[in-house]
Amino acid sequence: MALEFDRSMIGQVFDETVFPPVTTEEIVEFATALGETNPLYIDETAAGKGLYGGLVAPPTFVTKLRAKKFTPDHLPKFGKVGFDGGRDLAIHAPVRPGDQLTMLSTIHDIYEKTGRTGSMYFIVIRNEVKNQKGEKVAVIDHRIMQR
Amino acid sequence: MSTLYFEDIEEGDEVAPLDLFLTKDQVRRYAKTAGMYFPRFTDDDGARAEGLPGMIAPGVMSMGLLARMISDWNPAATITRIGTTFRSPVLPDRNIHLRGAVTQKNEADHSAECDIWMENDDGERWVIGTVTINLPTKS
Repeated sequence: MALEFDRSMIGQVFDETVFPPVTTEEIVEFATALGETNPLYIDETAAGKGLYGGLVAPPTFVTKLRAKKFTPDHLPKFGKVGFDGGRDLAIHAPVRPGDQLTMLSTIHDIYEKTGRTGSMYFIVIRNEVKNQKGEKVAVIDHRIMQR
Repeated sequence: MSTLYFEDIEEGDEVAPLDLFLTKDQVRRYAKTAGMYFPRFTDDDGARAEGLPGMIAPGVMSMGLLARMISDWNPAATITRIGTTFRSPVLPDRNIHLRGAVTQKNEADHSAECDIWMENDDGERWVIGTVTINLPTKS
């Protein structure tokens, strides 16, 4: 199958989701669910004397943010089955309690790879996370494989 | 858990290993807090109905556990980038072994690159990736 689709959809924002303010409880619960014992993530008092002057979320906290729309409406299906291929996460600023995060979603890339089991298609969805001050917090690239 | 400075680490150093028995309850708890409470992450029957061998851990949970390995090894390291490839479904009720090694030190910004991975008892790497960390310096 030739890789045919409307390339103009690449880079276009297809979703903007604003999340409720981050709470201390959800940061601590997220960290605890991963077994984190670093005081920066679980102990407000100790974190207050630490690197950030307060509690911050573990680096992968932003991966729990769910866009209202996961993919654009007119994204073609390239294969029968989809797999979660992986994530690349760039972290620019810490997430703190009270932060109001906004996430913009775009299709970053679509490409084909041919391996020993045939062709696979990779769709890279990029989520850019900003906080209420307009600071870039994180960029998450999500690789979805279809075959 | 103690601070490692940029000067304390060398290329080739191992990241302190983290060995865990990943329980189904741990996976369910993560799925709940991460807003991923879907059958494939919560019960075997639901997962089998989706064609999986049994319930699996979310890929981002594996990523989170690899980030925790870095945080356990050096609580003063700041992760600025982490990338993971999910090569194989991660099945709970098994041992998982989280591993890493320093591959490159960058003097200019006191950062370091590490390879990171998760393997099973047979040494099969279910998740592989790389991480960039910023480190405090003694100077």
